[in-house]
Amino acid sequence: MSDVTFTVLISALIFSIGASGVLLRRNPLVQFMSIELMLNAVNLAFISFAGSQGNAEGQVFVLVVLTVAAAEAVIGLGIIVAMFRKRKRIDVDDIRSMNG
Amino acid sequence: MEQAVLVIAGVLALGSALGVVLMPDAVYSALMLLLNLISLATLFLMLHAQFMFAAQLIIYAGAILVLFLFVVTLLNPAGEHIFRDRKRLQQAGAISLGLFMACLLGGALLVAFTSGKQPTLSPEKVTNPGSTYGTVEDFGKALFTQFLLPFELTALVLLVALIGAVVLGKRR
Repeated sequence: MSDVTFTVLISALIFSIGASGVLLRRNPLVQFMSIELMLNAVNLAFISFAGSQGNAEGQVFVLVVLTVAAAEAVIGLGIIVAMFRKRKRIDVDDIRSMNG
Repeated sequence: MEQAVLVIAGVLALGSALGVVLMPDAVYSALMLLLNLISLATLFLMLHAQFMFAAQLIIYAGAILVLFLFVVTLLNPAGEHIFRDRKRLQQAGAISLGLFMACLLGGALLVAFTSGKQPTLSPEKVTNPGSTYGTVEDFGKALFTQFLLPFELTALVLLVALIGAVVLGKRR
């Protein structure tokens, strides 16, 4: 098995683990971490295929994904903290409406 | 040697990804995520993407993960033993969906890779000792010439995130 094949397979498996983590856990913080896992798996696939093509385009895309992940973490954690201030308990099943 | 590092980093990445999902305490999940990010950075290095290795460590492990740990320790959520609570149907669905997705993606990739020529690191552009692939020079040239517009748009994304964080953090 070549190195690119191996890393792409690893990335597929990490993506599936992250996807089931989002569904399995009820704590929004851990769900966010699972989303980060999925984003990272996609980054690994981009870098693998960029290596097999030998150009920098995949890496530029990874930088964009990194930026989006940072923005998403900031906004998501802000929402979780705001939610915690109102109800002192964090569980995604408790959140049924979007009004503040 | 390179093969051994690749396999060890890959197995660590998979194990720590499972740890993120299965650990009962959110702090342990965050630490497992740190291990996952570091092993993925090692894989980036083994794929000759040096700049991405550094960026992964600085941005993910250095900035995003610290933010996660900060919020986890601030909120201190109760532990969650996923195999002891009573939402059996939901858990069975989540696990079977994960297994299904893993089989589908892994099987499709295996079929695609074993039927034709296996992709490898490009021998003339990447593994050649004189190549500039993955260096800051190569990456920066692509980022500031061909991909200037996406680069400017990421600035907009960061600005929106900044404003959003200020609005969310403001006390009413």
